[in-house]
Amino acid sequence: MSETDYQPDQTIDARDATCPGPLMDLIGAVKAADPDTVFELQTSDAGSKDDVPEWVAETDHELLDIVDEGEHWSIYVRTA
Amino acid sequence: MTGYAIVLASGDVGRVQAASIIGSVAAASDVPVELFVTMDGLTAFESERVERGAFEGGEVAEAMAADGGERMDLYYEQLADAKEIGPLSVYACEMAMDLFGTDLDDYVDVFDDTLGVAGFLNRAADKQVVFV
Repeated sequence: MSETDYQPDQTIDARDATCPGPLMDLIGAVKAADPDTVFELQTSDAGSKDDVPEWVAETDHELLDIVDEGEHWSIYVRTA
Repeated sequence: MTGYAIVLASGDVGRVQAASIIGSVAAASDVPVELFVTMDGLTAFESERVERGAFEGGEVAEAMAADGGERMDLYYEQLADAKEIGPLSVYACEMAMDLFGTDLDDYVDVFDDTLGVAGFLNRAADKQVVFV
């Protein structure tokens, strides 16, 4: 199990949801958030673990970390 | 490229779900999407069929019926959610509805309006057309 230095302002529990559920949950939350908000997106879907960073790369938001928590991944994103 | 104009002409739920996923994620990412549902594509949106979970298709249909929307939002839910957060319009083909003798009340509440082919072509003029 890994650790991260980032403390989320908001955690999105999208475990057990398949693609694109976790990504859609993140997009909806990010759009409603203030700048500099740190999100932790929890997903157990391997496809989303790879796809969410692809989406972030096309936005002004920042991918902070991806942590393997064993049963799921935690993806940390800071809003622009 | 100023967005996608997706023509959904198949009622095969695997194709319907794929069109929904691509269109929903694009719209949520602020890429304009016009989804034109025509021919057999409309049958997937019949309220009665949706209520019964009677999806047309092969293994994907069976898997989706078994999942029951537990792990994956079904296409009509995805589209409704995406419309809340991005530029997505969903249209039902007037000609196909005439053929079936249906109106919008016969379908799940996801359509913005009905549309003819000229109207669709106007909306598709500046977009990449994807035919499903």
